[in-house]
Amino acid sequence: MSRTSLTRLVPRSRPGESRAAFGFVALDGLGLIVFVALPAILALVIGLFNVDGFGKIEFAGLHNFQLMAGDKLLWKSLGITTAFTAMFVPTAFVVSLCLALLVRKPFPGVGLVRTALFLPNVISLVVIAVMWQFLLTDKVGVVPEMLGGVGLGDVSWLGDPALALPTLAFVCVWFLMGYQMLIFLAGLQDIPGELYDAATVDGANAWQRFWGVTWPSLRPTSFFVLITSLVNALAGSLGFDLVMVLTKGGPANSTSTVVFYAYQQAFLYGRFGYAAAICGLMVAISIVITGALFALTRGGRFDES
Amino acid sequence: MNPPPAPGSVTRRGVLRTAAWGMGAAGLGSLASCASGSGDDIAFWHFIVPGTPNYDKWLLPLIKDFNARHKVKVRERYIPFGDYANGPTLQTAFSAGDGPDVFMLSPGDFVRYYNANALADLTPHLSDAVRADYEPAALASRTFNDRVYGLPMEAEPLALFYSHKAFEAANLSEGDLPKTWDELLDVAQKLTGADRFGLGLETSPGYYQNFTWYPFMWMGGGSPIASDQIHSTFDSKAATAALRLWQQTIDLGVAPTKLRGGGGTDTRSNLLTGFCAMQQTGIWAVGEMKLNAPKFEYGVLPLPTPPGGKQLTVAGGWALAANAKGSKPDAAAQFITYALGSEDPACVKRGRLWNTVIKKNLPVRKSVRDLARRKGDFDDPIYQQFLKDIAPTAKGEPRYPVEIYRAISDALQACQLDGANVKDAAADASEQIATFLSDYKGGSIL
Amino acid sequence: MSRETALRKPRAKIGPGAIVAYILALITVAPLLWMALSAFRPGAEVFSASWPKHLTLDNFTFVLTEVPFFTYLGNSALVSVVVTVVSLFLHTMCGYALARMRFRGRGLFFGMVVSTLFVSLPVILVPLFMVTRALGMVDTYFGLIVPALFNAFGIFLLRQFYLNIPSELEDAARLDGCGYLRMYWHLILPLSRPIMSSLAVLFFLANWNSFVWPLTVAQSENLRVVQVGISSLSGQYGADYQYILAASVLAAIPTVIVFIFGQRRLVDSLKTTGLK
Repeated sequence: MSRTSLTRLVPRSRPGESRAAFGFVALDGLGLIVFVALPAILALVIGLFNVDGFGKIEFAGLHNFQLMAGDKLLWKSLGITTAFTAMFVPTAFVVSLCLALLVRKPFPGVGLVRTALFLPNVISLVVIAVMWQFLLTDKVGVVPEMLGGVGLGDVSWLGDPALALPTLAFVCVWFLMGYQMLIFLAGLQDIPGELYDAATVDGANAWQRFWGVTWPSLRPTSFFVLITSLVNALAGSLGFDLVMVLTKGGPANSTSTVVFYAYQQAFLYGRFGYAAAICGLMVAISIVITGALFALTRGGRFDES
Repeated sequence: MNPPPAPGSVTRRGVLRTAAWGMGAAGLGSLASCASGSGDDIAFWHFIVPGTPNYDKWLLPLIKDFNARHKVKVRERYIPFGDYANGPTLQTAFSAGDGPDVFMLSPGDFVRYYNANALADLTPHLSDAVRADYEPAALASRTFNDRVYGLPMEAEPLALFYSHKAFEAANLSEGDLPKTWDELLDVAQKLTGADRFGLGLETSPGYYQNFTWYPFMWMGGGSPIASDQIHSTFDSKAATAALRLWQQTIDLGVAPTKLRGGGGTDTRSNLLTGFCAMQQTGIWAVGEMKLNAPKFEYGVLPLPTPPGGKQLTVAGGWALAANAKGSKPDAAAQFITYALGSEDPACVKRGRLWNTVIKKNLPVRKSVRDLARRKGDFDDPIYQQFLKDIAPTAKGEPRYPVEIYRAISDALQACQLDGANVKDAAADASEQIATFLSDYKGGSIL
Repeated sequence: MSRETALRKPRAKIGPGAIVAYILALITVAPLLWMALSAFRPGAEVFSASWPKHLTLDNFTFVLTEVPFFTYLGNSALVSVVVTVVSLFLHTMCGYALARMRFRGRGLFFGMVVSTLFVSLPVILVPLFMVTRALGMVDTYFGLIVPALFNAFGIFLLRQFYLNIPSELEDAARLDGCGYLRMYWHLILPLSRPIMSSLAVLFFLANWNSFVWPLTVAQSENLRVVQVGISSLSGQYGADYQYILAASVLAAIPTVIVFIFGQRRLVDSLKTTGLK
């Protein structure tokens, strides 16, 4: 791309640039430190203590981390989070990218269609949970009634341990695809139309234009979507909110994700130290995975080789 | 919040201006907020829904009366039940040293709060006459070493509710009401149809599900722990049989794998809509039905028993407790005894209002029960049946610590919904309970 | 695929892509429409899977008259709007500096921003509450607003966006004698319009629908936001789902409006970004 050429000619840092930049990042930096980093560090430090949630704090060293090794439920929940991430992240990525391509250019009612695809995201999760619970009710829910015709009327989507997690992942994709679609749309609109014109002149078909123009230009956006949905699924609220309101970790612990398990340990069982240690583990895993992704893609810049 | 204004570049001042603008916008609204002003107040957190009779006719007048007679003022805060029981609000406040002075506490959490020294001793504020007035079982589950740490508001025993309409539709009559587990499965099978399940048992994991399952274990003489509180007895025949019964309800397809709406406590979404023909739930459903569907015809029967077992049920209910780590534990304790446990006739009257007029559950104080009986509150036949047939067989909700609760919950869920081998699941849970008991040093569990 | 050129035609046609889009949109909203329909059912039929025999507005009347629902809506609107506006300013500045300006510690700072992406609310709820309490913000609008302002997501997205701005534009502005602030105000902000309208929609929605934090930090009833208000409608032994659904429909109206408005802007600003 042409823009790198000029950047190379100017000196590394202009006078006053550093000071101005510090000014630009000061407030956000301060806020992130006070309201995100500080609580996060406190939460991690708590992992080294036994904390009962009523003021008792005893230093425990690595005891909480040692406990993890023998905690079968924790290992089970790690498996569940992995399975959930593997189901959710790729599906949501592909679905939302396809939707973005589909509604990218105007056609009659495109605004309505976009709104419709995004609509699940405007409803609060509490209501989403109530709604899907209605729809998926054994036997008499709308979905089993409709699937009765193809012999799937007796399937228990939320009550069967083998199906509850895929169902949850499906609801998550339905809930979040419009959101990711929006981010892809914003990314798509940054692609200069000339690139497509040039490709068309060169005789590229739609498939070739996608791989030759859209996909490379979209890489920073794709990277962003991938990282955020990965982190959200692994350690964020995605693997928590819906579990909390829809299944409570059941049936038979089949939807008990790590974050939900840690939540239970902290808020229902009063074992804040152990919960913090589990969260520390998840943060470490997320950092390793995203660190690897960053390294592979040179920080999501791709093109500045 | 704002960083000190430094004589820096134009950029920096611009940033500060923007920030000041933002803060100003944020500040516009904050004028209206009310400070907690905890000076002379005690905070009372509860889940009694504003606008309901419980709130308008019981809670508000109670607080008004108390505040009129005392220097310390009570401030109430409503927290939705789902969040109160399963959410982070209460625990977050306690963790930050900012817990409410008075709060509602379930038996499931009692040992944990007690072991953390979070509960104020109410005994000094309680007269001997009032202590004697309480049903012994109701007070016992809130007592450690003869000291009372919470006053129960009610006793709510479980039973089996059934819909007349569903029985008629299946050509069943009163004579077919199940008395044994075998009959229960048989009748449930007959009641199950294309769009109806014969029996509704709780399916969501949690304290409540365990609570509803315990009587099935007890009927055959089972218990998770031996009376010495050192040995686990969860792998008993009685416990495995109860696990197997719950498993059979799913295997036979007579019970749903997921109840609707609020689950086992929620008759409006399950029994009333015809989703379940019979539903195991608590006495509160009598009041719920009266309020929401006065014309719905239903009956109640005691929980069926296993071969050789005896009829039993469990009675739950919330208690008021005072925060020992709050700024005014004494005033908090005083409020609780004023509300529930004083000899004042007004207190007894208030008790009747709560237990038998507004809600339909069982008073835990004999004086309240007598007053309600004199006033004819129990004349309703189903209420009468609860009082005569079901309440006498009720055991108090156990206060097993979370480790025991969780082991049982995992076993129950695995058997009920995941087809686990009941013997293995029971043995596994029993081992976990034994491990926990071997180094438990807190307050008495039984 | 002729859609790339469709933009230049005076009137877009309904192609096969559009048909697929219509169908997908319909499938996506079908459950929501079902839910909205149930909000008009009489209480006893709220669970029914059949077409309603008659519809009623009683559920809406109840929510609007028996509960201070307008207060809840007002609180949610105030919090969401303030958080959206303030955080857009903060994040565009921060994202711009991270993408286009060179300063010592930039890599480290960006690393910090990215690592805060891993921090989810359930993990830090207790310490965050402690910090907020130490700042005297519990049970105030500040407590609802200030902790919600700072999120790495917006900064990260904006930084990715600014990486793609051709540097010729900046250089031209610099030759015209623009300082950083003027460049930010006159060049970067107008350029950011499409991404800002997307983010504004996302921020507004996230705050409008946030539940756990408002529930934890705001204790008095006059600070209750709409999602907490909806959940307050359910009782100990079950809920009147028809009221919950009606309240949810009411609560969704502003978000739908914001989205329709936001996505229009998104399309409009496409033509004015200076990228074409």
